[in-house]
Amino acid sequence: MNEIILSTKQLTKQYGSFTALNEADFSVCRGDICGLIGRNGAGKTTLMKLVTGLTEPTSGSYQLFGKDSTNSFLKRRIGCLIENPAFFGSMTAFQNLKFYCLQKGITDMKKIDEVLELVSLTDARNKKFKTFSLGMKQRLGIAFAMLDDPDIVILDEPINGLDPIGIAELRDTFRTLNRERGMTFIISSHILSELYAVADHFVFIEKGRLIKSVTKQELDLECSRCIVVKCGDVKHASTVIDSLGITNYKVIDKSELRIYEEGVSAKELNKQLVTNGVEVEGLTESGVSLEDYFKQLVSENN
Amino acid sequence: MINMIKAELYRMTKTKGFYLFWGVMLISYLITIIYKQEGGISLGAPIVTDNSLKMDVRMVSWNFTYYYLFIIPVFTTVCSEFSNHTYKNTISSAISRKTYYFSKYFFILVYTLLSFSLLNFAFYAANRLVNGSEYSSSLGRFAKSVAVQLPVMAAIISLFIFIAFAVKKGAVFNSVTIISPILYTTLGLVLYGIKDTKAFAEKMLTCEISTIIMRVAKETSGSFTAKCMAGSALVIILSALFGYVIFTKREID
Repeated sequence: MNEIILSTKQLTKQYGSFTALNEADFSVCRGDICGLIGRNGAGKTTLMKLVTGLTEPTSGSYQLFGKDSTNSFLKRRIGCLIENPAFFGSMTAFQNLKFYCLQKGITDMKKIDEVLELVSLTDARNKKFKTFSLGMKQRLGIAFAMLDDPDIVILDEPINGLDPIGIAELRDTFRTLNRERGMTFIISSHILSELYAVADHFVFIEKGRLIKSVTKQELDLECSRCIVVKCGDVKHASTVIDSLGITNYKVIDKSELRIYEEGVSAKELNKQLVTNGVEVEGLTESGVSLEDYFKQLVSENN
Repeated sequence: MINMIKAELYRMTKTKGFYLFWGVMLISYLITIIYKQEGGISLGAPIVTDNSLKMDVRMVSWNFTYYYLFIIPVFTTVCSEFSNHTYKNTISSAISRKTYYFSKYFFILVYTLLSFSLLNFAFYAANRLVNGSEYSSSLGRFAKSVAVQLPVMAAIISLFIFIAFAVKKGAVFNSVTIISPILYTTLGLVLYGIKDTKAFAEKMLTCEISTIIMRVAKETSGSFTAKCMAGSALVIILSALFGYVIFTKREID
């Protein structure tokens, strides 16, 4: 089993009477690319601020690398970009990163050019930060997060302001770093399709609550094309389905099951179920987009 | 903390304020040496020239010019981090809030006091070399005047750091630090003109910052200097403590 790099236990944050994060329990394993999905104000940034030590939890706790505190030694193993990228406007990209290299005790200044190349900012190395476009600022923020070869990179809405080519390049960078260096990522976004393209583990947040945590395979399964069978006796129905040689199906609850197998005719299935005495209450072909899936999750939790 | 200090020093050299700080003082000392006449920025209190002192010590008593110059390192080290929101980068991936605060505090304190001492002694050496003993005191006398000012300067800096961490915004910090001594002196002078409040105003003006800086440099010992030392120590401790509490307990936005 993979090492758990970050875990939270009943993590709660309140601002006065407003609960920004409510008893969040989740964990991220080494090598994961975890996507935090939620609407604006759902609690994604609060969760990230808590685990990076930018704010203190009202209750609950979290562990980083299996340890309770976020001492400076552990902090050096985290790279992050929370909210908007923030740098000194009158300093160049190189000078800004050099400042943070000195601060973190990084002696090899070649690292700066390496991370600038990683985010395609080599040409803007000596340009002042205040002259940067939104996308360039975002990329410099990502370069900063990568500066110290961290074990875990926490990025809050990293693709904001990036053009399609920039997004694709960044996606490749994340994948490469994850594959080649085993870097763990936690990336938040409300652009589901983009997150889907890079993450392998998804955590859905709504109104401060973690409403669902699924792997990419599970998400694919839940969103993929399927036949939804609603009936009074799921056990009997599954016996009939087994007898038909269908193996790729899932019992959702006591009145619903879903068949994901390719080439199954809804009409023929209905006929077989009825013939074998299953009281079919409904049989529909389904397949939801990520957006619809998220909307459905949100409405179920409201 | 050493890494933080190295980084701060690097960043400071990239700001205009760094050159302004050194430039203003060097030009001010240069003018003093050339024209053999002490001077600087007044905070509004009446200046009494004591001709029994030599020109270099009289110049030390004008050291409240530093009051305004100390605003620069505090502004560039603390306020600019808040206005650019860059403090989040450091706290989230390098050090704790406690280390952040104390690194900033010690860096500013050590940097400003070292600069203050270095500039004063550079002035002494240059003045001695150019104008000779007629315009310069013994090194011991000069050093004593500068040394007794150090705790007062440290108290001013500590108070500035507290204000910077409390108000965060550069514009508010500048307004408070620049206007406060002028307002204080103006109030003191107004009260001095009123018969019933004259005695109170006299006491008030004794505690005025440029008066303190001037008097400790001239007297260098005695009860007034002792009171100033004790008061400075109190200000340093309280402002450092309150600054720390405010920064570590408040939510970061």
